[in-house]
Amino acid sequence: MPPPIVHMEQASKTYEVGRPRGLLGGGIQQALDVVVNFSLDVQPGEFVSVIGPSGCGKTTVLFLLAGIRTPSAGRLEVCARPPRDAVRDGLCSVIFQQPVLLDWLSVEENVLLPLRLRDPRWWLWPGRRGQYLERAGQLLRTVDLDAFSHYYPEKLSGGMQQRVAIARALTLDPQVLLLDEPFGALDEITRDRMNLELLRLYEQRALTILFVTHSIEEAVFLSDRVVVMGRGASPRTGSSIVREVIVDLPRPRTAALKEDAAFFQRVREGRAALREAQQLQ
Amino acid sequence: MVQDTAHSAPPVHAVPRRTPFADLGSWTAFAAFVIVAWEIGSRVYNQPYLLPAPSQIITALREDAPLVLYYAGITTQETVLGFVAGSALALLGAMLFVWLPRALENFLYRAVVTLNSTPFVALASLVVVWFGLGITSKVVIAGLYTFFAVLYHAHKEFISVDPMREYLMDVYNASWLQRMLLLKLPSALPIIFTSLKGGVMAAVNGAIVGELFGAFEGLGYMILDSRYVGNTVRVFLAAVFCTMIGWVLLGIVTVAERLLLPWHVSMARERP
Repeated sequence: MPPPIVHMEQASKTYEVGRPRGLLGGGIQQALDVVVNFSLDVQPGEFVSVIGPSGCGKTTVLFLLAGIRTPSAGRLEVCARPPRDAVRDGLCSVIFQQPVLLDWLSVEENVLLPLRLRDPRWWLWPGRRGQYLERAGQLLRTVDLDAFSHYYPEKLSGGMQQRVAIARALTLDPQVLLLDEPFGALDEITRDRMNLELLRLYEQRALTILFVTHSIEEAVFLSDRVVVMGRGASPRTGSSIVREVIVDLPRPRTAALKEDAAFFQRVREGRAALREAQQLQ
Repeated sequence: MVQDTAHSAPPVHAVPRRTPFADLGSWTAFAAFVIVAWEIGSRVYNQPYLLPAPSQIITALREDAPLVLYYAGITTQETVLGFVAGSALALLGAMLFVWLPRALENFLYRAVVTLNSTPFVALASLVVVWFGLGITSKVVIAGLYTFFAVLYHAHKEFISVDPMREYLMDVYNASWLQRMLLLKLPSALPIIFTSLKGGVMAAVNGAIVGELFGAFEGLGYMILDSRYVGNTVRVFLAAVFCTMIGWVLLGIVTVAERLLLPWHVSMARERP
């Protein structure tokens, strides 16, 4: 077996949480263990989903892997280097719950932002951007938005904005894609279509994907493996992985899979695992 | 599969573009309304010493137009120089604040607040003592007025950027300058423009206050001088010119705002 491309070993994250102070003082600092002893290995080319109830620390796990937060304890590696370096070297890319586009840049400029920030003469951008336009066109074609390249993001629908965010995440040609409930705010029709587009990208580009969601069906439909997060014995202790469901359904997957009995079986397993995870609390 | 509207080109049709000068007509109409109402009001009131009519003011302007225009030129010069220097320093200052370590930032912020709570009139008379009766002291005072009008807003906006966007900049390894120029400055720009509009008016104020404290020329000098000899018409004439300077400069800032912020929600044709 090849070494894992995403490696989390006994990772923990504790936040300092301040209680608001009254007029006369008396506020206290509390330590809140959000994630405790979280271990997860993802193989190259694997599609792994993380599910769990709201507030169980899914986003924190993803932020640790994206290098946005530093772990309080444990060892993390992405592409055989610290998460922060993997992200900065363009090997690993993140897509957030919200598109997080810059309102003052056109769709095209938003997609080129990662390249612009890497350009050694970025301050001369108006003269430099020409050489990147080809790339922007390619990326926008992969998410079917090439007709909208000169629009401001605000003019696009929520689903289209999230597709721009996907295009931006692919700009540096990453090997690993981290997605944090990217389609959570979308209607079901759009969400289904986005799932298929994500699968298409995953299969075409040989990506490794870690996908955070709270939808069991979405997780089963997309993934090779679904890990279920839940809290330990007391609500004060943080979450770690409590169950795992292997989804050995064939690829490439199409919308037809969602009518398949084998699909329903895995969803049932996932639901049972999630229920057990919650009962542990 | 569901038909995706995004696969085809968006349905676009030409719409007349709104020029940055779209408001010029309504402003002219407003000015005409004010002048007519003022003329009628002062004729009915009939106390030319207290409230001269616009026609009297125009007559006074005809009598010594060269001098008044020269004074207006001086005041405009002071205002513009003070505004440009004051707002540039305020923006640079706000950037410096977020660049400095927290303790130094707090220290400097307190220094600025202290200076700002000193009565401006006291500050202005000192500036005239320090920089003399010429144009420099008025530029400094106008600059100070603008500086304080802009600094607080710019600083607050620079530290209030959406954290997710800051994370995005983390992820793409943006340098301090990239973060400032590509994220913090553009997201602060709408509020900065609002404060610049206040700043331009404050600059006119500052220039006039400076002239009141000691000058041999300018509209503020004209106000003081005319009041001594009881020539209210000329006081009004100077005040009208001050207003016009404010209007024109405000107009320039507004046009710049429209050109620079086409993406902002406040520029939308329709409002909720």
